Amino acid sequence: MSRTRAITIAAVVAALMPIALGSPYVLHIAIVTGFYVILAQSLNLVLGYGGLLSLATPAFFGIGAYAAAILALRFGWDGTATLAVAALAGVATGIAIGFPSLRVSRHSFVIVTLSATLLLQLVANNWEDVTRGSLGLANIPAPRLLGVPVEGRTGWYLLSLAAAAAVVLVTHRVVGSRFGRALVAARDNEQLALAAGIDVFRTRLFAFALSGASAALAGALYAYFITYIDPGVFGFSVSETLLIMVILGGSGTLWGPVAGAVVFTALPELLRIAPEVRSLLYGIILLLIVLYRPAGLATWLGGRRSVAQAPPA
Amino acid sequence: MLTDPVFLAQLAANGVAVGLGYALAALGLALLFGILGQVNFAHGELYMLAAFALYWATQRLGLPYGAAAALTVALMAGAGAALAQVVIVPNLDRGFEPVILGTLAVAVILQNAVRLTFGATPLDVAAPFEGVTVDVGGVLLFGQRLAVCAAFVVAYAGLAAFLRFTAIGRAMRAMSQSRDACVMVGIDVRRVTRWTGALGAALAGLAGVAIAPLFDLYPNMGTEVVFKSFAVVIIGGMGNLAGSALAGLALGLAESFAGGLGSAVLRDGIGFAAMIVMLLLRPQGLFGRSVRV
Repeated sequence: MSRTRAITIAAVVAALMPIALGSPYVLHIAIVTGFYVILAQSLNLVLGYGGLLSLATPAFFGIGAYAAAILALRFGWDGTATLAVAALAGVATGIAIGFPSLRVSRHSFVIVTLSATLLLQLVANNWEDVTRGSLGLANIPAPRLLGVPVEGRTGWYLLSLAAAAAVVLVTHRVVGSRFGRALVAARDNEQLALAAGIDVFRTRLFAFALSGASAALAGALYAYFITYIDPGVFGFSVSETLLIMVILGGSGTLWGPVAGAVVFTALPELLRIAPEVRSLLYGIILLLIVLYRPAGLATWLGGRRSVAQAPPA
Repeated sequence: MLTDPVFLAQLAANGVAVGLGYALAALGLALLFGILGQVNFAHGELYMLAAFALYWATQRLGLPYGAAAALTVALMAGAGAALAQVVIVPNLDRGFEPVILGTLAVAVILQNAVRLTFGATPLDVAAPFEGVTVDVGGVLLFGQRLAVCAAFVVAYAGLAAFLRFTAIGRAMRAMSQSRDACVMVGIDVRRVTRWTGALGAALAGLAGVAIAPLFDLYPNMGTEVVFKSFAVVIIGGMGNLAGSALAGLALGLAESFAGGLGSAVLRDGIGFAAMIVMLLLRPQGLFGRSVRV
């Protein structure tokens, strides 16, 4: 009890630190960290708990960002409705990508999720009437949530923190539910799960839809915060960063990806690394995990199936 | 205009030329899946690397195009063997996720290393057939496109002969059927894996040196190619070399007619649409060849 309380107090103090420090730069990083926590948790649900190597997270993120930008700029929608519709667009995208990809073998699942993301990037680049192509959409107005305008970095930080906390809480509840146990069972042994009467396809589709909703929410918040988006939001570098955050943080755990998101958003900023160098380093880190932590990776990703196939030491 | 036979013939000619380019680009990917059952997500980056190596060999070393192309393909074979040794060999018995993640990591490393080395400004590499145009009854055939078609024919025939007539080729075909049986009869599966990686990368390299002169060189040029190659390989039946060659040809023709009679977006999206339709209609059949008992 006292230990739980200590952790809770430490978490609250840590969460309020950026405000106490008062530096706009620190707050900016903290806001972006919140978005990454949501995205990492979105991937964690599918990859960590579902055991599905999905590369579609940037698709959900990008759909959310474009939905928010278009609704706010073209139709002048208010923030609450926009965020809700953006999240619903994420659900729809999750189902649209999940439906064909979850029916095929696990190789083509990876390919289809990547291709779907690239296709959406292609659409964003070419459907110039709506997306303005590679010019992107600029001057996205600040949102009003339930009538309250979101202003200043402190306001944005509180919103980002609340959204991240809500997503972590929902993930916690979902994973502990009957649905979450079915998802993990299907990850650990698909045949056994099917034999036990679990509708594996529907369970995974639901996980995909939920993952789509949270990543799209992060995309909508990102679009509002940065006030400018372009087709780069669908970029593969988002997937790369998220894979590092989730796998190094500990995929299939609740707090691992949160820690991963905090560390891998803050670290490159603190070290002031250029984006190309950061991507290069992330690539090297990912390669090193695959080469030197393969047992851990197999446990995280494949569960029993991989362990059963492992060669005798 | 739309029913003008010369225009339609031109679209068909363009489609065949572009389609054989897709088939060439996808050949190495299909080979790796067919023999090893592994997806190489760095395939597009190998293509990109070959294009930049060609630029380096022609511009910096001052080699003529032919010599530079041969040097590039040889270097790519070495790079492919190294990639197979580092990423695929240690993970042969660990399912496919480690290889997917490992090749994704290599793709990211190559892309950013090239960006840091050559910069993000598009580069151009010249080839001897670039300016040549052949007029066949009003239908224009472009020299470099014909060179791509020739490269595909040579690569496909060479690969088929290699798989049929060499010891290592026969070992590769044996491995596509059963790795366990290969181990039992004393085939060095690691060596076969390195050879497969080398051949796959050499094919990506050949595609790079043949196709790159047609476009600008930039560090993420491989993404588009790998996107098309995945579509081709999935439509053609993964690991099925003849299938992906035909699918590449079909995709090139479909894109050419979609672009000529429809729009550019339709042209770029048609491959993905075909892939999705294929997956919905034949979700299991496509990978049937690769399932090991």
